[in-house]
Amino acid sequence: MVGILIGQIAFSIVLASIFLFRPSLTSAAGWKIVAFVGLCVLPGLCLVGGMNTHVQRSETTRFCTSCHVMVPFGQSLYIDDANHIPAQHFQNHRVPADMACYSCHADYGIYGPLDDKLRGLKRIYLQYVTTPPAAAAIRIPGGFKNAQCLHCHAGARSFEENPVHTALMSSLTSNQVSCLGSGCHDTAHDIANLEHQKFWKPIQ
Amino acid sequence: MKLSGIGIRRLLQISSGLVILGLLLEIVSLLWFHPLSFVLFAFVAAGLIGLGILVYLVSLVFVAEPSESTGR
Repeated sequence: MVGILIGQIAFSIVLASIFLFRPSLTSAAGWKIVAFVGLCVLPGLCLVGGMNTHVQRSETTRFCTSCHVMVPFGQSLYIDDANHIPAQHFQNHRVPADMACYSCHADYGIYGPLDDKLRGLKRIYLQYVTTPPAAAAIRIPGGFKNAQCLHCHAGARSFEENPVHTALMSSLTSNQVSCLGSGCHDTAHDIANLEHQKFWKPIQ
Repeated sequence: MKLSGIGIRRLLQISSGLVILGLLLEIVSLLWFHPLSFVLFAFVAAGLIGLGILVYLVSLVFVAEPSESTGR
């Protein structure tokens, strides 16, 4: 898809170059239409295509872990421990492996993707303009919301038939009891102890 | 300087220059896999392309086509 977009951009550049070197061509009616396409329609489409590609790319695991501060979080996905929730989800493809971070950390609300991008821009600002926080000190503002777990697990038989989940269901849906912080599934991205962990090596 | 004084052909050159520069930066941002590539696209490339489109539209609305004799 990126190849097609780059081809479209190259074609737009060729078309726009005509009017950089020969602007007098627009005296003819036919060339006026070409100018409209080359300087307005195609660049507009390239902008939309570029934004779409960048937004999709920003949802990939590779993109998230390309920030230095996120590298330990990426490594924690390979911890060989079934109690380690992110690693268990990633290694068993309970979330798409190439979109592992986004699957659990995206805000699934109507303005969620926009909020996520703004938060990402704030992180870039912290990284390049001020002093970034240490990886172990990073916390999700407002804590991890159960809605992000329930987005997939709610309605699943294995989840709903579990008596603990059934007993706590209203507290879970109202976020009064956290899935991660209630002594049930509380091992997530334990990066402070990363050097003591065993790691899973995927078969290539 | 009034817009009509600049001339449609000059504005077209400015517009195409901005669009070309923006599109080249968009290609760089697409080939560069880095968190800053999004910033390069969203704040620099998109800005230049948008400005180029705006200059082109302004040239259509506010600037009269020069007569052949003036050659501008």
